[in-house]
Amino acid sequence: MQAQPVKRTPETPASNQNDIIRAVDVVKTYNTGYSEVPALRGVSLAVEKGEMVAIMGPSGCGKTTLLNCLSGLDDVSSGQVFVAGTDIATLGDNAKTEYRARNMGFIFQVYDLLPILSTVENAELPLLVSGVSARQAREQAMTALELVHLADWARHRPAELSGGQRQRVAVARALANRPAIIWADEPTGALDSTNAEEIMSLLNQVNRQNGQTIVMVTHDARMAAHAGRVIYMVDGLIVDEKRSDHAKPSPESATAES
Amino acid sequence: MNSLFGIPMNSIMVVLLVGLGLSLAVVGYVVLRNRIMFRMGVRNIPRRVAQSVLIVIGLMLSTLIISAALTTGDTVDHSITKLAYDWLGHMDEAVVFNADESTEATDKAVVPESALAVLQTALANDPDIDGITPAIFESLPIIDNRTNLSSPAATMIGVDPSTLDGFPENIVTRDGKPVDLTGIADDEIYLNKKAAKELDARPGDEVTIFVQGFPHTFKVVDIVKDNAFTGAINLQGQGESIVTEGMVTRLDVAQNLLGREGELDAVAISNRGGVRDSIGLTDVVTTKVEAALKAGNIPNLEVAKMKQEFVDDAELFGNVMTTMFVVMGLFSIAAGILLIFMIFVMLAAERKPEMGMTRALGAKRSQLVQSFLSEGMTYNLGSALIGAALGVLVALAMTRIMASLFSQFGISIEPYVTPRSLIIAYSLGVVVTFITVLFSSWRASHLNIVRAIRDIPEPTYRRTTLRSLIFGIIGMLLGAFLGWVGIASGILFPHALGVSLFLLCSIPILRRFALPERLVFTVVGLLLLGWWAMPPVLYEAIYPQMDSDIEMFFLSGIMMVTATTFVLVYNSDLILLGIQRLGGRLGSILPAVRIAVAYPLANKFRTGMTMVMISLVVFAVVVMSIMNTSFGELFLRDDSRGGWDVVVQENPNNPIGDLEAALQQSPASEVDTSRFAAVGAVLIPNLFTGSDLRQAKEGTTDSYYSGFEEHPILGLDDEFLATASIPLQTRAVGYESDAAVWEAVRSTPGLAVIDAFVVAGGGGPDAPEFQLEGVGDTDKVMDPITLEIRDPATKRTATVTLIGITNYGASASFFGMYLSEETFNEVYGPPDFSRFFIKLEPGTNSSRVAKGIEAALVTKGAQADSLKDLIEEQQATFSSFWYLIQGFMGMGLLVGIAAVGVIAFRSVVERRQEIGMLRAIGFKRSTVALGLLLETSFIAILGIVSGIALALLLCFNLFDSEEFATIDLALIVPWWQVILVAAFAYGASFLMTVVPSRQASSIAIAEALRYE
Repeated sequence: MQAQPVKRTPETPASNQNDIIRAVDVVKTYNTGYSEVPALRGVSLAVEKGEMVAIMGPSGCGKTTLLNCLSGLDDVSSGQVFVAGTDIATLGDNAKTEYRARNMGFIFQVYDLLPILSTVENAELPLLVSGVSARQAREQAMTALELVHLADWARHRPAELSGGQRQRVAVARALANRPAIIWADEPTGALDSTNAEEIMSLLNQVNRQNGQTIVMVTHDARMAAHAGRVIYMVDGLIVDEKRSDHAKPSPESATAES
Repeated sequence: MNSLFGIPMNSIMVVLLVGLGLSLAVVGYVVLRNRIMFRMGVRNIPRRVAQSVLIVIGLMLSTLIISAALTTGDTVDHSITKLAYDWLGHMDEAVVFNADESTEATDKAVVPESALAVLQTALANDPDIDGITPAIFESLPIIDNRTNLSSPAATMIGVDPSTLDGFPENIVTRDGKPVDLTGIADDEIYLNKKAAKELDARPGDEVTIFVQGFPHTFKVVDIVKDNAFTGAINLQGQGESIVTEGMVTRLDVAQNLLGREGELDAVAISNRGGVRDSIGLTDVVTTKVEAALKAGNIPNLEVAKMKQEFVDDAELFGNVMTTMFVVMGLFSIAAGILLIFMIFVMLAAERKPEMGMTRALGAKRSQLVQSFLSEGMTYNLGSALIGAALGVLVALAMTRIMASLFSQFGISIEPYVTPRSLIIAYSLGVVVTFITVLFSSWRASHLNIVRAIRDIPEPTYRRTTLRSLIFGIIGMLLGAFLGWVGIASGILFPHALGVSLFLLCSIPILRRFALPERLVFTVVGLLLLGWWAMPPVLYEAIYPQMDSDIEMFFLSGIMMVTATTFVLVYNSDLILLGIQRLGGRLGSILPAVRIAVAYPLANKFRTGMTMVMISLVVFAVVVMSIMNTSFGELFLRDDSRGGWDVVVQENPNNPIGDLEAALQQSPASEVDTSRFAAVGAVLIPNLFTGSDLRQAKEGTTDSYYSGFEEHPILGLDDEFLATASIPLQTRAVGYESDAAVWEAVRSTPGLAVIDAFVVAGGGGPDAPEFQLEGVGDTDKVMDPITLEIRDPATKRTATVTLIGITNYGASASFFGMYLSEETFNEVYGPPDFSRFFIKLEPGTNSSRVAKGIEAALVTKGAQADSLKDLIEEQQATFSSFWYLIQGFMGMGLLVGIAAVGVIAFRSVVERRQEIGMLRAIGFKRSTVALGLLLETSFIAILGIVSGIALALLLCFNLFDSEEFATIDLALIVPWWQVILVAAFAYGASFLMTVVPSRQASSIAIAEALRYE
């Protein structure tokens, strides 16, 4: 595996027909009431359709903030974010929400499953909110659960599953509506290495088989090595990028922080 | 008001003050010895202002209800006591005619002037007596010649001005100036305020008074305050709390006018001292007066302790009101205690990681309890203060309503509160909250440190702990013991409590055997509900003779609601299944609905507690509403009028004779007597002497259950007996129908029918003195009963056979024992006066006929009323009072609504991250908000529906029971009232969730998803 540096901020990425995500000089500043804390200080990047991108960097560098801003979960202070050519800042809250429900899937570090719903009910939730009929939602959710090998656990509550299984449910939920983009924030952060590898393999599989774009935040270089491109951030800026021709685990890799 | 539930108020106050002191001492100990724990507790208060406000509201509700109940009692007690002092002034006792205990026969129910002479001689210089004065009084018709307004029965009273020194403030003008009757002319008179208002009279007016049909004209000198000496209340005996129109003149003028020279009706006595402090000498003076009468050999008189009895009645009435409001408020108080418990359990859950960390650092469990107690007591001390103050305001609002209800009786209600009541309400609120917080903090302190720090839910154990098992066994044994006590004593309350405790305490024992939680709670819930909702037939077969009272209403509510909540909460997945079946039909709101149902079902404790709070209060209000409406209708039914339409009361001083003839002869008459289908007469014995009776023991005619007891005995003329259709609840053996009984009374001398209130269980707290033995209120058939009736004055007696008992609804209108005219005359001679009942041809307006009769017979002082109007007016007052009680009980709904609010606010905090995730995966703001609103709706609707269903179940069973079947009470569900209660409970719960749902929908997604 050979990683090559390609782009640096604050250069503006050239517009490319294949780009599904394009960020232009994105600034995000948090106002704590006492002071202003810059989280992103002018980030520009582009992600092509079907790419699997990992964002790495030390704690507090702005990885999650970047993911939130790119996915529309958070608003930017300045700059622009285009998803499939649409400037998401121009969308109202409802339109943005509907867009997310139809075109994006999310995986979080701590599973974030609703403990009160069964596995299949959790998986079908994004489909139901985007207006898919109950019957079709159940079918798609079951298909997604089969993909993550949890069809037999469909009726179980999250509390009855292991950590790895729960994260696979989260993956199934992210895949259920067959989104164009999957956002993953530390998807393996709460898992042991075996379960973490399993999740990453799943993500690789959907990326390769379905051509779904995956943007992932991680601390772990071994997990990042599954991505086709790794973006390095420090203090709210992209400081480096590496591409690899093929993505596969690298046992000897160290973490980005080390 | 000096006692509650029979316990002196001072004792209650002392015990509660000790409790308050202990609670404060515990907090003081924490402040002094463990200040950091105190600080930790108190600093939590400003963390979430909205939540803190709700906690204060929740905590103050119990205090508010107690404070309102006690203040209402204080107000009623004070107002009626004040009336006693205003109306009686310096008069403390009255010597009046009473032949009951005397063996000497008399045909005149009067106080002889010789009695006055004896008393004045014997007691003139007695240091305990300020004054002795004679009085005579009669009820007479009066017309104001200027306004043409009249009153058929104003009391004329004559008093002796020369002996009024001991009664300085009894006859005073409206502005408080004493009136001297010495100089009053023979044709001058003073009217009391009530009469002046009724006649629209003013000083200088001419009035005409009719005596034996002859008019007498008087000039009104001035208007005087309502008082015993101005004819405002009955001077004959017991404190009468209905003010009447009256007029006062000199004794000799009144005696001349009434043709009763040398006769008196009462001798009033003023004890030493002022208006209020003289009451202390009542017993001493009564003994002296009785001794003087005995020494003077004056028979047939008694000393009526007018003021003391009036004040005692006032206190009793105040106590009844307080007890009623406290008992009816128990549902709300119970709900309030549950709310306090739930609030602190939720606070503990919120602070679980902090508490775990504190324990990890070395804090003991007791120190966590101290921290919680500090916080709880800070809320508690403030909220109890607010609760006590708001309780007074609520009582003020209620007394305004009561004032308008009582004003028709001439009773003015003035708000009044004693410091003692406030102290009791405040202390009780603080102590109840202290105990609840102590228990919930002790429960919260038993946490697993690691699980608490990591905020991991407590695992569900398959078996209960050994400690729970021991508690269960003790509880079951206690339940069995109480059950036995109830059976042995024939009292239902301990038995029902025992059975319920036995079943509830079986839960930890069954769970110890690892039986599934759902199975255990469902089975126990169903068994408990089954016992409480047992069909009357089965209940009466198992428990033939058990006494019960109003406390069973409270217990049944608590137990039925608890049982139902167990069943609902543990089988709620069936509800979820039903909703899932709806599936696509719910469209885009399906996700919100699913979450709204799933969250409450996943948190059984909170859902169950909130459901219980709402259900309990809805249950109580709906039961009261059904009872009020059904009983109201019972008295409003046509048969409660006994087939009659108009009642005409004859004035004893102006006999009517033949009613139809009198109407036809009256020049002013516009009454068409051809519209009269029948006119019956009820003959009434002398009101001063009354009538009494006693019951012979079975099979004897010379052995009796008791001495003679006073009870109205009335004669019925042939037309009344032939026309009336008064329904009976019990008939003697051998009579096939009610009509057969009435026909027998008419045709066979010596037979009688009596009202239902003399039957045990039929009379309630105001049961008549005479009570019938050997027949129950559920008996439809009885053996004939032998009774002896007596005229207390003449001592004439007769034996009569009781062959029927009127039903409950008719007994209110036809109270007393009824004989044929012949049997009546045998003992009582010609009646003192009659009461005529008129049956009208169909389609005739009874109100108009009544007004016409009164106008036509104004000079006779006849008082005519439409029976329908009369009963409706009584029922309107009765219903208004019960609406007030229902409103008071409805305040408890605030508890349930506050609980819904607390849960909703808490849910937003707890689910912040989950809401962030839901928003991330596509939930719109509106869907998140809708989810929370639907969740609240789900809990509130379950509580409301279960409360209504249980109330209906209880009422169906009650009305189906033998007791209710006998009084022929039909179940009427006032659906509009039920819908109103449900709508208020639901609407308020919904509104309570609007703010938290907005908060939930505006959570910033990225912020909510941060883990650091």
